[in-house]
Amino acid sequence: MKLSAIRPILFLICKELAIAGLLLLGVSFVVFIILILSPGDPFSLLLKGQMASNTVGAGTLEAVKVPAAWYVQYLSWLSNILRGNFGTSIRTGLPVLSEVVRVGINTLYLTIGSMLVTLLLAVPIALFSARRGMTVFNWTSTIFTYVVSALPVFWFGYIVIYISMHQFGLFPLAFGSSSQKISWLYFILPVFVLGIGNGTISEVVRYLREEMERVFSEDYIRLARAKGASIWKHSLTEGFLIPITEIIASKIPFILGGAVVVEQVFNWPGMGRMAWQAAQDRDYPLIMGITIVAAIIVRLGSLIQSVVYIIVNPRASQE
Amino acid sequence: MSIAPVLQIENLRTYFYSRSKEAFIRSVDGVSLEIDKGETLGIVGESGSGKSITALSTMGLISAEPGVIIGKIRLTTESVQKDLLQDLNNYVKIDRSPGMIMEVYKDNSGWQKYTDRMMRGIRGKEISMIFQNPKVSLNPFITIGKQITESIMLNTPIKNRNEAKERALYWLEQVKIDSPRLRYNNNPYGLSGGMCQRAMIAMALSSEPSLLIADEPTTGLDATIQSKIVGLLAELKSSVGVTAMLISHDINVIMELSDKVAVMYGGTVLEHGPAKDILTEGSLYKHPYTEALLGSIPNEQHIREKGYLQAIKGDVLDTINIPEGCRFHARCNKITDRTREQCEHIEPDLKEVSPGHSVMCWLFVDS
Amino acid sequence: MKRYSQYSTNVGDFSDVPFWKKAGTMDLVYVSYGIFIVILVIVSYILGAFNLLPFDPHEINLKLLMAPPKTAGHILGTDFMGRDILSRLIIGIQAYFLPGLLAIAIALVIGTCFGILAGYWGGGFDTAITYISNLLNSFPRLVLILLMVAAFKPDIYYIMVIVGITNVPVVASLIKGKIQFLKQKYFIEAATALGLKNRIIIFKHILWHNCRSVLIIQATLGMAEAILMETSLSYLGFGVQEPVPSWGNMVLSGANYFMQGKFWPSTAPALAILFTIMGFHLLGDGLNNILEMKRSK
Repeated sequence: MKLSAIRPILFLICKELAIAGLLLLGVSFVVFIILILSPGDPFSLLLKGQMASNTVGAGTLEAVKVPAAWYVQYLSWLSNILRGNFGTSIRTGLPVLSEVVRVGINTLYLTIGSMLVTLLLAVPIALFSARRGMTVFNWTSTIFTYVVSALPVFWFGYIVIYISMHQFGLFPLAFGSSSQKISWLYFILPVFVLGIGNGTISEVVRYLREEMERVFSEDYIRLARAKGASIWKHSLTEGFLIPITEIIASKIPFILGGAVVVEQVFNWPGMGRMAWQAAQDRDYPLIMGITIVAAIIVRLGSLIQSVVYIIVNPRASQE
Repeated sequence: MSIAPVLQIENLRTYFYSRSKEAFIRSVDGVSLEIDKGETLGIVGESGSGKSITALSTMGLISAEPGVIIGKIRLTTESVQKDLLQDLNNYVKIDRSPGMIMEVYKDNSGWQKYTDRMMRGIRGKEISMIFQNPKVSLNPFITIGKQITESIMLNTPIKNRNEAKERALYWLEQVKIDSPRLRYNNNPYGLSGGMCQRAMIAMALSSEPSLLIADEPTTGLDATIQSKIVGLLAELKSSVGVTAMLISHDINVIMELSDKVAVMYGGTVLEHGPAKDILTEGSLYKHPYTEALLGSIPNEQHIREKGYLQAIKGDVLDTINIPEGCRFHARCNKITDRTREQCEHIEPDLKEVSPGHSVMCWLFVDS
Repeated sequence: MKRYSQYSTNVGDFSDVPFWKKAGTMDLVYVSYGIFIVILVIVSYILGAFNLLPFDPHEINLKLLMAPPKTAGHILGTDFMGRDILSRLIIGIQAYFLPGLLAIAIALVIGTCFGILAGYWGGGFDTAITYISNLLNSFPRLVLILLMVAAFKPDIYYIMVIVGITNVPVVASLIKGKIQFLKQKYFIEAATALGLKNRIIIFKHILWHNCRSVLIIQATLGMAEAILMETSLSYLGFGVQEPVPSWGNMVLSGANYFMQGKFWPSTAPALAILFTIMGFHLLGDGLNNILEMKRSK
């Protein structure tokens, strides 16, 4: 790539980073508002927990004084957050951020894995029906995706567990236990359930197919055909690469939400199950931390998508 | 022995079906044309007359349904002699049950696959096509240089990338684009319409096709650029000796570049013949439509003579409801009492009025 | 072979065949199924509201545990406590119906306002609303709801407010897109030039004539979303609690029995969820294809 083209690209990427930062700031503000408006004033508790971690240890909780004005509270909370101090969990007393990150890895595995499963099914259907039009295969696969998208994911999980229990003799109820015959199956099942049962497939298929069809009718594809070139090669960028990054980035929050349910069904130790537990316990620091980390993951996905778009699209960088 | 024409279109019909009106739109309704080697055939007509559809039918690029239905398109070049619509009868059947105007059975995907197979090796190699709106016709994600190089590697024996690049640069020079080496790496986004059109012409000619189809190459460009592109095409015509089908609604463009002219209206060819016969005003045998077209060109002479711009009365033919008789009769200002009966009820045939020059009009048929 | 027939040449300028001939067959199937489901839901809701149920949904019958469908007058059988499943399903609709309407109302009203501000006046409004939309989209819905539940109480109406608010970006961008489309067609410029007041342009011309189909479609999809959220939350134990039935908590309480091979108490509500959400989705997508995509010439 030419050097002269790199500089505007870098500039745009920095702009995207700045926007992501501003959005995360907004996220922190929304979380703050929710917590400070909550009855029972959990926010002070949170703040105390943060400040206590900053000083010596737990025992100083009562001795810590919380500033009165709300904006000062927000700022001091925010400064702690930015330093990685998310406070400590009310239930376990462990620092929130490290706990969330620890289980977040498992959720990340679920998220990425399920996305791959969804794409594995959705992409062929979308591309095939974009190219060949409405054939019998397309109708049936479209209806199939609709049915599968409306399935309650928890019930689907039960079915999968039941089948694996009785057909394969596997009891996927313990994480990482090595006493099972086919323990690798345990890692596949939740991914499979989340990828298929979460309702993402039908929308991904529809979006990809629409975008591909739109690109197929573009003038430059007509020119490519007129000169004997391969349509796929020319439509790949705008019809496939850009829409896929777009739809993946926009579905990440949805998948994270589904992970909450699936982790519950499979007793999977991830962020979702931790969030459920935290909500049950009214463990504010923990649920707050999870919300913020989830938002960070979402924005990261969106950032990657913007970067891909900027790199691939000459129009974007030649304004 | 006379050499066979490069392209011979016989009785081409391309219809589209409107589901909302449950009727056929007869975009091309029996068109026959011939282009000889080294010749430029100019097809002129108003929007909706079927000119572009004729070109797209020849290239097999019609995707709307049902598309091309019947006809013969014979391509004769040094390496290829075939009927581009051959054997496609297997995929289409035209019927007419009682109480019905027309019924067409078509296997669209089969036809499309067969056409693609048939046209492989012809598109881009034997016949090249350029379109209007050059900025959106080029792939916005790839540099113009790469697009030309791609065409060269696909359609000529040159398979080495560096050689192809050299060839691409050569052609960029031929189309008089400034600083070819620099422009090679530009994206279409950064180039003006005129430059994009030059690049598209370079790409079309770089594979040295036997026939170049230019569909409204100057429409959509600024007026000054238009004349430059026309000048470029004229130069290339003499230097490269390209055989071309030039489509335009702008008579001036047609006048400058064509050897032969075909005038289309409502999906048919009303008149065709040598350019100098048809396009000079005041010559004897000419279809009323052609005369009216020439008379409506806004130039100094006309305005001085008449004082206002001469329009053609009436609306463009609706290609669903094709009236009885001559397609143009409703707007014709040369109907005489002698021919009125026929003009309104029977469609005339093409009649040769002078060597090589045929007109479809009752005025030239002795009863 | 596809068949194309023309019956007459007497095709007037503006005569278009009615939309049910123009639309694709599958879309009509989708929409009919969707409408059927909507009617079913509304009727069931009314039945439930007036307590016109075959059995008392809370009545425990220990002699008839987990009976299969069509036993002793229980059309859909009984659950693990002998309660009639059909009656419980009908009552379960109340868990999401009105709250769902609230979510839809919030999403449509606020979303439309935002869309109009961003599209019609643009500029600073557009930037602000884009920012807010991206902000709202940064949260996974369920996680945000859990945060709300932890901070406040697990009330289904609070939750639906969140669902509604998180749906605002979609509606706003659709409305804004429509307005930009109309602007591009100089439609709005022409109306302004004619001297029409902004208010009239917005309400009559933009919203009513151009946006109403989009809004209806968003309402159907919003209801599907609301059902999904409500059932997921009841499944997780928030939202409606036992013994009040919700389709979500019915699946949950039947889970143990599912693993023992007694599928029905868990499956019946799951199927209800499946067919209902599918109905709303198909209705929305079908209407979208018919009304929004002008596919036929």
